[in-house]
Amino acid sequence: MSDVEPTDGENPRPRFDRRAPGVAAYLGMAVTELSDGTGPAAVLRGPFAAPSHVVDANGRTPTGILAALVDSISGMASGIAALPGWIVTTNLNVRRAPASLFGPTGTGPLLLDTEVLRRGRSAIVTRTSVTAADDGAAVATGWMTAAVLAPNGGPPEITRPVRPVGFEPVDDPAFAADPDTFFALRDGHAPGEVALDLVDRTRNPWGILHGGAMTVLADTAARSAVAGTPALTPTPGMAVADLNVHYLSPGRVGPVRATARVIGTKGLEHLVRVSVVDHGAGDRPLVVALATVRQGPADAATVR
Amino acid sequence: MPEPTRELPPYPPARHAMRLLDVESERDADGDLRGWLAVRPEIVRPSGGPRLGPVAVFVDALGGLRSISAAAPDWAFTADLSIHLLPTGPFDELVADVLVLRRGRRTLIIEIDLATDDGRPAGAATLSFAVVGRPEHLVDIRFDDTPDRHPLSPLDPGDARPDDYLAELGITSPAPGIATVELTPQVSNTVGALHGGVHTSLVDEASASLGRELLGPGAETVDVHLAFLELGRSGPLQAEAVAVGPPSPEGDRITTEVRLVDADGRLCSYATAEVVAP
Repeated sequence: MSDVEPTDGENPRPRFDRRAPGVAAYLGMAVTELSDGTGPAAVLRGPFAAPSHVVDANGRTPTGILAALVDSISGMASGIAALPGWIVTTNLNVRRAPASLFGPTGTGPLLLDTEVLRRGRSAIVTRTSVTAADDGAAVATGWMTAAVLAPNGGPPEITRPVRPVGFEPVDDPAFAADPDTFFALRDGHAPGEVALDLVDRTRNPWGILHGGAMTVLADTAARSAVAGTPALTPTPGMAVADLNVHYLSPGRVGPVRATARVIGTKGLEHLVRVSVVDHGAGDRPLVVALATVRQGPADAATVR
Repeated sequence: MPEPTRELPPYPPARHAMRLLDVESERDADGDLRGWLAVRPEIVRPSGGPRLGPVAVFVDALGGLRSISAAAPDWAFTADLSIHLLPTGPFDELVADVLVLRRGRRTLIIEIDLATDDGRPAGAATLSFAVVGRPEHLVDIRFDDTPDRHPLSPLDPGDARPDDYLAELGITSPAPGIATVELTPQVSNTVGALHGGVHTSLVDEASASLGRELLGPGAETVDVHLAFLELGRSGPLQAEAVAVGPPSPEGDRITTEVRLVDADGRLCSYATAEVVAP
């Protein structure tokens, strides 16, 4: 949905017509429009089933995945608001509710509700709240800014009001694997370093690395830097409480590399800066992120 | 022959939000900036470092200053900012190193590292700017680009320092989760709308007041993500913070969502913040 093209002077042609199953199919969020479909600012709801291969052992959705979900549904709301143009995500924030960071609260299926806060000529701002589907407990809140552009080939076709799209079963075992496998992550050379191989399933319709892949990458790198362990090693009792991502340019070549550095600590929290570059494109900067990694109680659930 | 320089408009006025802070800046040969904010009693938070609101005014000013040369010949308006503060205890000066991360056709991203004067990390900030054609009234504006460290919008000679920064700006909290301010020249920007740093100060106070209610006296806002949506052109302006779920099980923090509206009911900014117990 997002990261269409933040690069000046380039307008890629989308490939909706020959698109392989991708991040949307992996996340499986079937978005419904709550508004009547007549106005430019759609109110959207996205149920997330929290399948076992995506969530942690306690059923909690990792923050990187949560941010990918916010990116997806906010991207759709922003794109609708930008029609006949389309959008590219420029800035994404997700902040988890403190009471649902560890323990049983906020586990299991989720509901994402998205509204448009501002619809400008050049930028759209949306807000998304995330709640537990069963009891309505607050799980997270986030907002996203998207830049409006005029993509070659026009915007994707959107039928209003938006109704859930059925996702066809995908044979590729990656679609039933954990996020590290689906997003093709690899350990880097040191704690806090993560590599991502660009594969077709993580590209968006414009052939660019999906914004959600970047948030998963940033989440993984930040926790690895704090834990001091290789990136794909689980980090029990540790979760990203807050993630702020700025998209600088599109990832096209790969491998994409993230490097996280702990800036400082505040009690049980660690402030981490993450830089992501496209190594195959001359280490072109793709993303800068700030993450707050929180260590939970000693017996807290593992957050992947 | 040097180009004639037009007189700067009378901005900021006496006792403006920017002047009430004791700020200095220095530009290096590449145009990057370092800034210093004196951590005076009127801006200190309970744990000893500077409050988030004044830090926002500080980083917004430095980011804005850096954006002028980075965006030239265009102009840049702050679109959003994120600030994280780390616990430092008391110290004398907050040091900010300002770096341009990306200058695109339509956006500019600036990163700021914050440290204490003895080199300990004090936080980090990121600002996004929308790049636009330079407004007519700013076409010929010139700024002091000399390389030495010098004061940035200091108080007029003889002007007393405020007792409390937010109170001097007229920011009040009539109820937990609420902060208001009248739109005066003291809190306005160059076009007469609410200054971006004051937006953040309102968000800080609205969130902190809710934290004081839910977490206890001394609760303080330690980070914020704020999106500027509209110019705040009518006062009073009000920020309302609500908690995102209950406090943490340890009772040491809350997350807030904050909406700032002007007197006409327009949503001018939206933010999320974290408040921690002392």
